Amino acid sequence: MNEHEAIQGVLSTVVSLDIDGVAEQVSAALKAGADPRAVLNEGLSAGMRIVGERFQSGEYFLTELLLAGEVMKAGLVPLSPLLTNTDIQGKGTVVLATVKGDIHDLGKNLVGMMLSAAGFEVIDLGSDVAPQRIVETVRKSQAKIVALSMLLSPMVVSLRSTVEEITKAGLRDQVKVIVGGACTTPGLAKEMGCDAHGEDAVAAVHLCEKFI
Amino acid sequence: MNKTDNKDKTTSIARVGSLLNRKKIDRVPFFPFSLGFSAKNVGYPIGSVYSECVRSFDAQLWTQQMYGHDQDPFFGSAVYGTSEFGGDVEFPIGDWIQSPRSIRYPVQSFEDIDKLGLPDPQSAGNLPKALEFSKMQESHGGLISLVVGGVFTTAGNICDIRNLCLWIAREPEAVHRVVQLAADHILSAARLWVKIFGTQRLLVQIWEPTAANSIISPRHFEKFVLPYQQKLHQEILGLGVKHILCHICGEQNKNLPLWGQVPMGDPGIVSLGQQVNLADGIKYFGAKNIIAGNLDTSLVAGGTANEVYEAAKKCILAGKDAPNGYILMTACETPSQTPPYNFYMLTKAINDFGFYD
Repeated sequence: MNEHEAIQGVLSTVVSLDIDGVAEQVSAALKAGADPRAVLNEGLSAGMRIVGERFQSGEYFLTELLLAGEVMKAGLVPLSPLLTNTDIQGKGTVVLATVKGDIHDLGKNLVGMMLSAAGFEVIDLGSDVAPQRIVETVRKSQAKIVALSMLLSPMVVSLRSTVEEITKAGLRDQVKVIVGGACTTPGLAKEMGCDAHGEDAVAAVHLCEKFI
Repeated sequence: MNKTDNKDKTTSIARVGSLLNRKKIDRVPFFPFSLGFSAKNVGYPIGSVYSECVRSFDAQLWTQQMYGHDQDPFFGSAVYGTSEFGGDVEFPIGDWIQSPRSIRYPVQSFEDIDKLGLPDPQSAGNLPKALEFSKMQESHGGLISLVVGGVFTTAGNICDIRNLCLWIAREPEAVHRVVQLAADHILSAARLWVKIFGTQRLLVQIWEPTAANSIISPRHFEKFVLPYQQKLHQEILGLGVKHILCHICGEQNKNLPLWGQVPMGDPGIVSLGQQVNLADGIKYFGAKNIIAGNLDTSLVAGGTANEVYEAAKKCILAGKDAPNGYILMTACETPSQTPPYNFYMLTKAINDFGFYD
């Protein structure tokens, strides 16, 4: 097996959600002489991209997406010691939060998982996050993107306050604000002063890649 | 309906009773599914509608009287199963958080499943309060409701949706066991309600958001949800319960043909999310059941009054002539921050378009 075939094998284990086989496949790729960064980017991350596409097309569901995240984690175990932080999270920093008042975190966690898999450093502030905390984190981290999640429609006011606080803090030109979640739409995002709306976790990755 | 527009020819209790008995009614009933909204409406903390029987009942009843809607007070939440199986639930705090959340799941690993027993419905979690609430419903004279989760939602509240999803692929037997436990528990709660309140006025409300296609595939629904949900409904109806209100929450289009195999009662009430077309709902469930739905709650909370009115009109006209009747209902809980005028527009739409000749 040459290194290209071995990396393709890594990709296949991710796409087929083979959590038991992925670490072995990564080790085999490294043994075949593959560059660890290539194993990450062309194997694990590329596999996650295909999983994301299948999710968007309706072939995969949340169950498969969550499992793919676990496959990615398992694949990183033998790989991480050989990578620098820049290799793993080199695309930039995203501050991620569910807006104040909303306690749902499943969708937000999914976005975090997909962003990490795509090579972003994700600062996940959790759910029910006050605007001021988001502002402080952006200031400290120099993040270029704030990704906000909301499931419940009453949280529209929280979304607006968050964008306003970012603006008041003088950080609005520094960051792009994206939003997603069950009750959100492109129209709502625009009205609340966000830069873009992501339909799902995969779209969030595309937006972050576009904005970075 | 409000005083100036009121053309009602009967009471809410009589109207809903007639609908459930397939008798002619004056107009489309309106179920706003308004818990947090009702609490805010009367100046109570949102959390009280889930945790304090008297305040919850009063807030809902007073809001019903104020707006003239038709949904009698009910008691329940979407985290059903967590505290009933020994986990912890946090009720909403403050003005913003709308619904209770699970903060400690009873099952966190496979080993925990073995330790899980069937809870006593007399004392499990929030059920003692639900019993107290049902006694108030009984005195009030309307429907007496037991509100529970569907088997998959309850299972997700026992072991966390994330685990449930991962175990579907990794440990399917564990999922089967938790779902079976959930079904057994729900049936035991239904038995208790039947024993105490009889079946005449009993409405078992089953809310199932977690089996939505945004979470699981129809293939997994067929394997992990359908057989259990189907058997549970058969057994509940076998106790003599006449009506199940099944809230098929969220994006469940791909599950509809499967839900169509689940008996809901004679008639049942099938409540749909905004992602499901009402015409599809009528196609799959309308021959035997009352259809309820499916006003977009984001629109109700965030749209203009006119948009809300038009959306309600559209729903009423789409559902009004369903074979076994239709209830105008929000697609899920009416957001607590809904402007009161938007809520009023729903009643106005009923008044303008909901009456039968």
